[in-house]
Order: sequence, then structure tokens, then C-alpha cells
Amino acid sequence: MDSSNAAGTSNGGSGDGDPAAAARRNTKMPKYSKFTQQELPACKPILTPKWVVSVFFLVGVIFVPVGVVSLLAARDVVEIIDRYDDACVPVNMTDNKLGYIQNETISKECTRTLTVTKDMKQPIFVYYQLDNFYQNHRRYVKSRNDAQLRDYKKANQTTSCEPERTTADGKPIVPCGLIAWSLFNDTYIFNRGNENLTVDKKDISWKSDREHKFAKNVYPSNFQNGGLIGGAKLDSSIPLSDQEDLIVWMRTAALPTFRKLYGRIYVDLKENDTITVKLDNNYNTYSFGGKKKLVLSTATWLGGKNDFLGFAYLIVGGLCIFLAFAFTLLYVIKPRKLGDHNYLSWNRHPAGR
Amino acid sequence: MSSERPLLDATATTPPTPAAASRLPPSQPEPPVRADHLGFSVEVPDPFRRSRRDNRDQPPDLSASRRELQEGGDCESRAVVVGEPSAEFSGNAIRTAKYSALTFLPRNLFEQFRRLSYVYFLAITVLNQLPQVAVFGRGASVLPLAFVLFVTAVKDAYEDFRRHRSDRRENNRLAAVLAPQTASEFPPKKWKHIRVGDVVRVVSSETLPADMVLLATSDSTGVAHVQTVNLDGETNLKTRYAKQETQLRFSHNGGVGGILHCERPNRNIYGFQAYLEIDGKRVSLGPSNIVLRGCELKNTSWAIGVVVYAGKETKVMLNNSGPPSKRSRLETQLNRETVILSIMLIGMCTTASVLAGIWLLNHRGELEFTQFFREKDYTTGKNYNYYGVGMQIFITFLMAVIVYQVIIPISLYISMEMVRLGQAYFMGADKDLYDKSSRSKFQCRALNINEDLGQIKYVFSDKTGTLTENKMEFQCASIHGVDYSSGKDTRGYSVVVDDLLWTPKVAVRTDPQLFKLLRNGGTNVEGKLVLDFFLALAVCNTIVPLVVDTRDPRQKLIDYQGESPDEQALAYAAASYGIVLVERTSGYVVIDVLGDRQRFDILGLHEFDSDRKRMSVIVGCPDSTVKLYAKGADSSMFGITNKELDSVRATEAHLHKYSSLGLRTLVVGMRELSQPEYEEWQSAYENASTAVLGRGNLLRSVAVNIECNIHILGATGIEDKLQDGVPEAIESLRQAGMKVWILTGDKQETAISIGYSCKLLTNDMTQIVINNNSKESCKKSLEEAIATIKELRVTSTLDTLNPVLSSESAGVVLALIVDGNSLVYILETELQEELFKVATECSVVLCCRVAPLQKAGIVALIKNRTDDMTLAIGDGANDVSMIQMADVGIGISGQEGGQAVMASDFSMGQFRFLVPLLLVHGHWNYQRMGYMILYNFYKNATFVLVLFWYVLYTAFTLTTAISEWSSLLYTVLYTSLPTIVVGILDKDLSKSTLLAYPKLYGSGQRNEKYNLNLFVLNMVEALWQSLVVIYIPYFAYRQSTIDMSSLGDLWALASVIVVNMQLAMDIIRWNWIIHAFVWGTIAATAICLFVIDSIWFLPGYGAIYHLMGTGLFWLLLLIIVAAAMVPHFVIKAFTEHFRPSDIQIAREMEKFEALNQVNRSEIPMRTLS
Repeated sequence: MDSSNAAGTSNGGSGDGDPAAAARRNTKMPKYSKFTQQELPACKPILTPKWVVSVFFLVGVIFVPVGVVSLLAARDVVEIIDRYDDACVPVNMTDNKLGYIQNETISKECTRTLTVTKDMKQPIFVYYQLDNFYQNHRRYVKSRNDAQLRDYKKANQTTSCEPERTTADGKPIVPCGLIAWSLFNDTYIFNRGNENLTVDKKDISWKSDREHKFAKNVYPSNFQNGGLIGGAKLDSSIPLSDQEDLIVWMRTAALPTFRKLYGRIYVDLKENDTITVKLDNNYNTYSFGGKKKLVLSTATWLGGKNDFLGFAYLIVGGLCIFLAFAFTLLYVIKPRKLGDHNYLSWNRHPAGR
Repeated sequence: MSSERPLLDATATTPPTPAAASRLPPSQPEPPVRADHLGFSVEVPDPFRRSRRDNRDQPPDLSASRRELQEGGDCESRAVVVGEPSAEFSGNAIRTAKYSALTFLPRNLFEQFRRLSYVYFLAITVLNQLPQVAVFGRGASVLPLAFVLFVTAVKDAYEDFRRHRSDRRENNRLAAVLAPQTASEFPPKKWKHIRVGDVVRVVSSETLPADMVLLATSDSTGVAHVQTVNLDGETNLKTRYAKQETQLRFSHNGGVGGILHCERPNRNIYGFQAYLEIDGKRVSLGPSNIVLRGCELKNTSWAIGVVVYAGKETKVMLNNSGPPSKRSRLETQLNRETVILSIMLIGMCTTASVLAGIWLLNHRGELEFTQFFREKDYTTGKNYNYYGVGMQIFITFLMAVIVYQVIIPISLYISMEMVRLGQAYFMGADKDLYDKSSRSKFQCRALNINEDLGQIKYVFSDKTGTLTENKMEFQCASIHGVDYSSGKDTRGYSVVVDDLLWTPKVAVRTDPQLFKLLRNGGTNVEGKLVLDFFLALAVCNTIVPLVVDTRDPRQKLIDYQGESPDEQALAYAAASYGIVLVERTSGYVVIDVLGDRQRFDILGLHEFDSDRKRMSVIVGCPDSTVKLYAKGADSSMFGITNKELDSVRATEAHLHKYSSLGLRTLVVGMRELSQPEYEEWQSAYENASTAVLGRGNLLRSVAVNIECNIHILGATGIEDKLQDGVPEAIESLRQAGMKVWILTGDKQETAISIGYSCKLLTNDMTQIVINNNSKESCKKSLEEAIATIKELRVTSTLDTLNPVLSSESAGVVLALIVDGNSLVYILETELQEELFKVATECSVVLCCRVAPLQKAGIVALIKNRTDDMTLAIGDGANDVSMIQMADVGIGISGQEGGQAVMASDFSMGQFRFLVPLLLVHGHWNYQRMGYMILYNFYKNATFVLVLFWYVLYTAFTLTTAISEWSSLLYTVLYTSLPTIVVGILDKDLSKSTLLAYPKLYGSGQRNEKYNLNLFVLNMVEALWQSLVVIYIPYFAYRQSTIDMSSLGDLWALASVIVVNMQLAMDIIRWNWIIHAFVWGTIAATAICLFVIDSIWFLPGYGAIYHLMGTGLFWLLLLIIVAAAMVPHFVIKAFTEHFRPSDIQIAREMEKFEALNQVNRSEIPMRTLS
């Protein structure tokens, strides 16, 4: 293959030259084994009509019930969604929402009334939902430093946190980066009549994050001191591992419309209950036309209220059953004997020799 | 560079020097005129003109050697002073190693980056290093490229190390070199220190250190024998001569001197032109005076020569360019798909970047306060990483290129190489390709055209040594019009020399009647003729008898060494009848005539040449008569015969009979010369052989003058035995839709008879013979042939559907027989086109009397005009050009040894192995490789499309939810191994089925496993599957708390499972290895995801653990796989049942063998009809 044979042409040893050629002539008979002869025992599945129809039928038979069950589960979920970003803007400010949200002197308090449409069993999950907020934007996703969050000695590590790395005088921000900086800061207080519904904000984040990603001995510092306030401020006396809102926020959402868990209410709600929500509408989504929604939802083993999975299973399952019948029909109309020599192309056109 | 194989009737070496030095002026006849640089030249197409198959590298040797032959004309280009080492020319040190320790890194990197795919890799990696564009972390992005470079570098370094070692060993060998200023001291000197002009002494069995002109040898007449097995693979001894002038000079005073003028170094190992100026005289030197580096001196106790070419300028080194690199058809075709994918890549990148630009424009005013964008860095007050919309579009484009680069599967090239390695291993390990008789294994010498073996349409085969065994066996003789062909008893005949018994090595079956006649001979006319006949066989040749010791001290073997196996066979035949050639020197031969040792002086010898097609020798007999013995082709011999009609006619009839039996025939003749005739000839011969200009022509005319009035003694028939299984193999190949062409140096009759005996020709074929001597007549017969074909077509195409197959279907089977002479007029002219037309209409083509370069020309004729794949198979040096020209070259490692094998892509022991090689391994390789390429395109496209759809939901910023490590590992680990294993191990049909139904081979010829339609189908499937993978989770997780890493993990795992399921559905034979790799890969992917999500500093920390804890994840995985696979399953189920391919039916036949056993008996008849 290469030119190494030249060297070997006249010495008796190595190289691909003629000594090798002589050696080649004297190679031993290849050892026979099922492996070397490529004859390992093997299974040769063939799509016989029986198989095709059974596979389709089987898939259909499994998928349709799964679809039904999923659909029922999704239908069980009760969900109350309330969009409040527009409604909470005072009437005189609707033309200047940005001015409203940026003006710190205007009170951001706002009251919303929700009616429970169906009985809701506890725990009731409280989410806030943002629309059009690209938590997966490239410059946003990258703007964090995980080393800093885990080890107080590494507070100075702010690489990749631009444009929110340090304060103007060069002190490192902990936690640095756009993600932390833009922490959501609307708050909700729920009342049913006069009864206050306490929101349990414990355990809303992943345990793994609390234990390994955000350290107990790292405290916020220099946070939210810059020229532009992005969102919530953090209590610098609470370690990061206990700042669960931050931990939840920093698990960046996959899609531009997303929910984040705010807390849980461990009270059953009855149909037609009226719930008043006192909220602080602090977070600026007006600058990019984002929407804010408050969501109260129960949950099942399948998650939240989403019919899609159930329908998907029903469609695929139904399609498979249809295909099972269609193929059965085809096989009956146009049967072909398997492995029949007469179907070989040269036998079909005997002229073609 | 390519030797004419010894034609049937003569040899192509230089003869012994004319008799004793005293009688004839010492001089050498000109080098033999070879057919390949005689009357014609084959048009070797310019590599740049061959645009249609432009990726096939043109073997450089052909044109180069032709040029050099012409250049060889000026002998003045190198002057060597004998005995004075000159530093002017290249030294004798050789260097085959490419690198030194210092240059290794830069040169190796340079070599590696000459591959386009690596440059692409590098460009992407470099691009990724720009901070604005960086998509992957620096380490992660460099890793794949670094890995590939490293592995290749280690491999290269090891190979180079081996070359260094062998270089060193070679350079440090010792040779005896004449010390300057001394006359006869030869102190040892290292090879690398030998220089041009050095005088070197070599003893028997020693290897020659450089190309040397012989000055003197131990033989008083200056004869030396060399074995050239290292050079051209031929094991017989070749005779070389020292010039009488130098020989005498050396033996008188031991001194040498003179100036040698020789041509520049060139790679023609059969040509050499030079002259020596000595004592004011010019002594001309030819190829018979030079011995080449790498040869071994044999049967000569010592020889002294002057080095003329050293080191890298020696012929062996110049001939040492490895086999030309060829590229497989699939690899060439794959370029088209690569272009399509590049367009797709650019399209996707453009879409993403334009959309990103639009998004930025729409949100222009909002970017400052938008939390997830925040244009400004307030510590500096400047924009951070934002350069305006236009620039952002450009940057996004570059980033998109990095993210989507895998759509052009660079890893495919690495996978292909690994698959080929595995395929090569299995081909080599196949016991059906192992030749027990020569103990040779199948060898893959070129590792990059395995899959071409499955697409061959034309097979060009050499005859001698390929179809036949090249073991010539004397079968019968016709002497004076009497046929003696009943050879029965194998009686070894021995002669007694010095109380020792000398026995010829090979005994030939003798005809008892003839034997008796010879014993009683000498008395009657008939007996004398028979004696003369055998004397002619024993004398009129260039055989050198070698006496070999046997275990029995009183017995010795006579081994006839010569370049023509025909001559060997004849000499052994004569020996078996008791006319034993015992000794040959340059001036005389000693022949034991029925126990009586006689000396015959060789007064002159007229070489074989392709014009005369005969050779003759002038012999001074013991009874002091002078006789001319001649042997040659019948056509040439009958033209110079004297009129003895009866016996000649009988001989002619016998010749016809012999050649129709497939025997190689020779006519033997004799003429007694009278004293005046002899003297006239002698002076003419002397003049001619000392002529400086036109020596060859002069000698030829001397020969023509003396070769007349020949008395025909008789004819011989030599059998060239067919190899085992050749007819069956040819039948299989033809059934498989291949056209088998035989290209042979034999004459027409012999070629046709061999054609019949190997069932290539049958009696129901219409033969078209083109055998002309001028361009006009060639043109005429070609036109006639075309007219004939048209006529036949018109009558036959009426009832056939498929015009391509009409020639055979209508029962009109055409065979074309072309003669080498006609090819001279056809190949280099516009008649080529016509020949092509005729030849493609014929199902059998026989080319006889073709020269080596013509063979290549014929291959080129087909290769340049069709897209069909060509294969050339041969065993001899004369097949080298054809082997290199064809798409696939196969060397038979048989009798003729190395040269063809060296030039070939594959080598094996027997012609019949072609059947399992092509029908089984070729078929497998092609279908595996075709599938693997398509699958690689498909799987990478699926992944890239998954990445692409997500970008639509990230404000077009090219974020990947799938973690960067998973992105990189996708091609390296998640999906690569199963395709490689499947590419090596999966087989669509078993060996026995493929052999039983050769027509299944057609799938490769029709490009069924790799074509644009399949590519498009795969891309559509990739599109569908990527949509399923992306959108089912998208809708399921819409408005939920799903985070990027979790969704990314789901997408990654789902993509990997889907593409592996696709592979699993297409696998035909599941053995445990394939099971292990397919399912193991999916498991490995899951494990990798776990590992990646266990690294705390990555954003995805813990994601997969959470994800797998939810039921939704598992339900999603299930429905993604189901929904993604349904279309593929439907297409498969539908086509396999309602549009079954032959392969599919054959698979079913294999599987349901038992069911169909009943009606089996009638079936094979139909399939073979």
C-alpha cells in the first residue's frame, strides 16, 4: 500500500517487498471459525404479513388505552390561569407601561379575584407563567457561573457572567450573570374570604440543586447594585441554598413560554370559591411585550393539564389499528407467496434472460 | 516497464554472444525489439481529459514510462568514468521513510490536512475558537479533531518507523568495492557509501547493491546469471553478459577504465542504452549488459561491474511507486450527496441567521431593558457582545455553521475506513479464497475500493497464468507430416556425466512409436528428420541448463531455466526423447544425443521479434556442416518454407487440429547452409551487429535474408492447462451480468480454442472477427460489423421489451474477436468509437495478440465511455498496465510472481476465486457500504434537524437544549459503533444463495443500494423523525416547568433511540455481536447522559434523574419511537411485500427453504435458463 517495499526488495527481512511476497505465498490456511467465515448463528427476521399485521395491531391495542387513560388524567386536572400584566397597569398608564413599571414611586400593588371552576384537591400548585421570555436565549443561558455558587472561595470567579459580572468598582457580584440578575420578583398573597391561604415555598426547587449546586455558605453580595435593576433583590443574610426562588429561576426554561413553581397551597378548594390575590406587580415584562400569568393547578401522575399526550396516543394507536386492517386487506387482495422463485425479476420477464 | 510475455513461439531475451571471441567481432545484438514500443502506441488518455471518471487517479506509470522511453534515445545524458566514484550523481543510500524525528509533526500534519474532510473539520474548530462565535467550549470542540489526528499520526509514525528500520538495514549492508588506485583490492564498503562509478565485485547469491554494467565475470565468455525475483517476481534465471572488451581487459591486467555514456535514470527495467568508450573504441551496451539493484547473482562465482545508477535512481526504486490510489464508485457518488447536504447546510444557516436578524429588528428598541438580552454592560457602559443587526446576522450564520456542521458527516469517512478494514479482514479470512496449492491467501492491497467489487460490469482477463495455469506441457508433435500424439509412458531419461546421473527435472510423456523411431534412426531419412526435429528443439532456444544437487550424491537434476515456459517445455520434451541439452555457454551448447555427447557451436542467433514472429539459430554441427534451425508461429514459418507440399499440408492439418484442441502450436524448421551462404551471412551479421546506427533493423534484415527456403521439420503442440473451475467461474460471472473479455498475447486460433474450452465461446454464437492490416480495412470491417449487428437487432428486437438485454434475449449471441494488429489502427484513432459500439453489443470479446499497453488501452476504451465498473485480472508483468487502468485490479499470485500482485488492488491465488469474491464479498461489501453511507447521512440529518427546530424557539440564537457534550458524542459514540459493526457484519443473503443465484449480483450493477432516490427517501425520513422527536415533547411540555437540560436530555435520548431503531429495522441478520452493539449503544447513551448530568458545574446537573422519575418522560419516549418509526415500517412492509426486490425474495427463499422444498426441483432449471 505504501512505498515501503523498496527497502525490502533486497533484504531478507521486513518490508512489503518480495520477501514478503514470498511469505505471502506461504501463508497459512485461514483458521476456520463461524466468526471468520461470517456464519455466526443469526436471527433473520422477515416482515411476513402475519408479523406486520400483528405489530400494528399490538401497537394499536396498547396505545389506545394508554391514550384514554392519559386523556382522563389530564381532564382531571383543574387549572386556573389569570393573566394580570395588563390588568394591573393603572388605567392612566396603559399608554406608558414601561414608564409605569420603571417608576419606583408608583405602587405596584394589585388585587385579582379568581373563581374556582371545579373542586381542587390539595396540594394546589402555584405557578407564575411568562410568555415570550426567552430564558433559552444564547447570551442569557451562558451568563452564569456555577463555580461561584458552590464555593464561597470562588466568589471572584465571574467568567462568562457578562454583562453582569462585577459592580462598577470591580467587585464580583454573587450570584453573577444575567440569569440571577433577572430574578422574577412578583409576589402573591392568597385569601379565600378572610381566610389567608398560606403558600408553602419550601421544596419548590430540586433537591439536587439545593444540596450540590448552591452552597450553604455562599451568601449574595453586591447583588442588584448596578445601573439597571433586573429583578428581585436577595437577602444577603440567607445562603444561596435557601434562596429557592433563585434556584428555581436559575433552572432555565426550555421554551419561551414557561411556568415556574411559586409555591404550594395545602388547602382543598371548592367549586365557586372566590380567591383574592394581592400581588406586587414588580417584574418588567412590558419592555419586550411579555405576558405574566398566575396559575393555580392541581397535578396528577402525568403532570399538569395537557391533553396532547392522550390525543397523540389515541391518534397513533388508532392509525396503527387502521394500518393493521389496511394491510390485512392488501394482503388478501394481492397475496404473494413468500420466497417464490417466480417473482425473481429474471423469472418475471423470462425474455430478459 | 511492461514486458511482453514471451509469446508462444519465442523468447524475448538477448541471445548468447556470438560464438568465440576470436571468430566474431565481439559485439552484442541490439536489445530485442519489443512489441510494446514497436509499431504502435496506445493512446493513454490524459488524466485531465478523463472528466467523466475524474476521481479515479490515473496510474502515472503508463504515460511516464512512455515518455521516458523516448527520452532514452539520447545516450549522452550521463557519463560515468569507470573506477572513479563521482559525487555528481545520487549516492546509493536509499530513503523510503517519509519523516524524520524533527520533520514528523509538521509533515505528518501537512499530509493529513491534505484531505478535504480534515480541513473542514479544522475550519469548524478554528471558527469555534472565535469568542463571538464560540458554540462549544474550547476543549470540547478540539477533541474530535485531535483524536482523529492523533490516531492517524500514531499509525503513520509506526509505519515510518518500520521503514526507517529497513532503510537502515539496507543502507548498512556491505559490498566489495574496488579501492581507488588499486587494481584488484575490493575492501568491504557500506551500501550507502557506494557511488556511481564505483567498481563492485559481487559473488554468487549476493544481492546487487546498485544498477551496474557488467565488466567481467568468472565465466571466460562473460556470462552471468541473475535472478530478478525481487524486481519483477519472475523466478527463472536471466542471462547477462559482460562485454568481451572489458572481460578480456580485466582478465589480462585486472585494470579497467574508459568512460561510460548511458541514458538518464528511468524506470524501464527492460531497457538500457549506453556505450563504453574504451581505447578510443565505442562499445555499445544494451539491456543484457546491465544488472539491477535487488537482483541476486546466481550460478556465477563472481561478477564485477561498474555502478551506473545508485540509490533512488536505480530502476527498482524508480519503479517503486505504490499502487495508484483509487477511489471507490460509492465514494465518488457520495460527493453528490455531500454537495446536496452542503446546500442544505447553507440553507439552514441562512434561514436561522435571517430569522435572527428579523427578530432583532423587530425588538430593536427593547433590547436594553429586556432581561434576557440586556444589550449593555453597565460597568463599561458599552454594548456587550452586540454589534448591530447586520453583524449579528453574520455571526449567527457562522455559529449556525458550527452547530449544524455534523449534517456533513465527516465521521463517515472514518467509519468507512474502519468498515473497509473489517471487510478486508473477513475477505482475507475466507477459506474459500485461500489457495491451497500455492498456499496464498486473499489479500486486500488497496483498502478503499472494497465496495467496488459489488458493482463490476466488465471483467478483463489475461489468459496465460490467469485462466490457464501457465504450466506448459508438451503434448504432441507432428514430424514430417506424421502426427505423434499418443504420449503414454512417462519414462525419465538420464544421461551419465562424469559417472554421475543427470536427470531432467521434468519428464514428459513420450510416444513409444516416435521413441522407437528415434532409437533406430540415423539410418533412414525419417529417423534423420526426427533427430533434426529434436535437435532443433534442444538448440533453438535460450534455455540455460542448471545442474542442481539432489539428496542422492550420484544423481543430479537438470533444471532448464529460461524466460519462456514454452521453450522450457520443448527442451524437456527433447530431453525425454533422449536429446538432452547439458550445457550452454555463449559460444556453444553441449547436447547428449542418445548417450553421445556432442558439441554444437552457436554461430549466430536471430532474436524473436513481433514482425518475423520466429527465431532462428545458426549452428556449427559436429559433422562440420552449418545448419539454421528456426521455430516460430505457423503463419510466419509457412511463408518461408521451401516447397514440400505433402508434408507441409499434413503439418498444417495437424496444426489446425492442435490449436482447436486449445494447444499452443509452433512450427520447427531447418535449413542447411552451404559454405558460401554461410560466409555471406557471417559478414552481413558481423556488419549488422557492430553497426552503431539502426542495428536492430540491420539484424532483422540479415535474419530475413537467411531465413528462407526452410525445410519444415514439423510442429509441436503444447498444452496450456486451464485452471480449476475456470469454465464454471466464467459461466457464473456471465450469469451475474458481467461481460468477460479475454485479452491475450496468444494468436487468434489459440485464443478462440481457449475461449471454447472455458465456455466463453459456444457454437451458437455469431463470431465477428476483426483482423486487418490497415486502418481502412479496419474501418471497413467495423462498419460491416455494425451493419450486421443492426440487421440482427431489427429482426430480433421486435419481441423484446428490454432493448439492453436484447442481444442475448433474442438468441443472437455475438462474439467479437479482435486481433492486436487491428487494435493498432483502432485504439489510437477515431475508430475507437466504432469498436466500442461493436464491443458493447457483443456478449463475448476476445482480443488476441495484444501488447501490454494495448490491454490498458482496451480497458480505457470501456472505462472512459461508460459508467460501468471495470475489473482487470492478470498475473504477469504484462498485465500491470491493465490492472492499474481498471477500476479494480486483481493480481493472481501464481507462477509469474510479484509484479502484477504489486500493482493490484487485490490479489488471490486462482481465477475461480473471482466468483466468491465478486458475487459474495463484493455483493456484501457494496450493500453494507451503501447502506452505511445512507444511514450516516440520515442519522446526522435527523440530529441536525432536531437542533434546527429548537432554534425556532430560542429567538434564533442557536442555543442547543442538548448539552454540548451530547452533541459532540452523538456522532462519536451514540450512533457510530452500530453502523460500523453492521457495515462489517450484516449480510443480506447467505453465501450459498448468492452463489446459487448469480443474478442477484445485478443489484450492485444497477446501483440499487445507493442512489439519489434512496438518499431523498432517507432525508424525508430524517425530516419526519426530527419533527416527531421535537414536537411531541414540545406540545406535551408546552406551558410547563420543563427546563432546558431535561428537555435536551429527552431529545437526545429520543433521537438516539429513533436512529438506532431505524438501523435495527434494517438489519437483516441479527447475531449476538450486532445485538450487543445496537442495544449496548442505546444503553451507553443513557449512561453517558447520567454521567453528564452528574457533573455539578454543568447546567444540566441532576436533570436526567428528575426526568426519569416522571411517567410523562417514559410515555413520551414510547410514543416518539412509535410515531417516528411508523412510516419507515409501513414503507418497508409495503415494498417488501408488494414491490419485492430479488434480494428480498431470495431472503424469503432462504428463510422458508423448507416450505418450498417441494417445488424446488423445477426451479433451478428456470433460473438458469
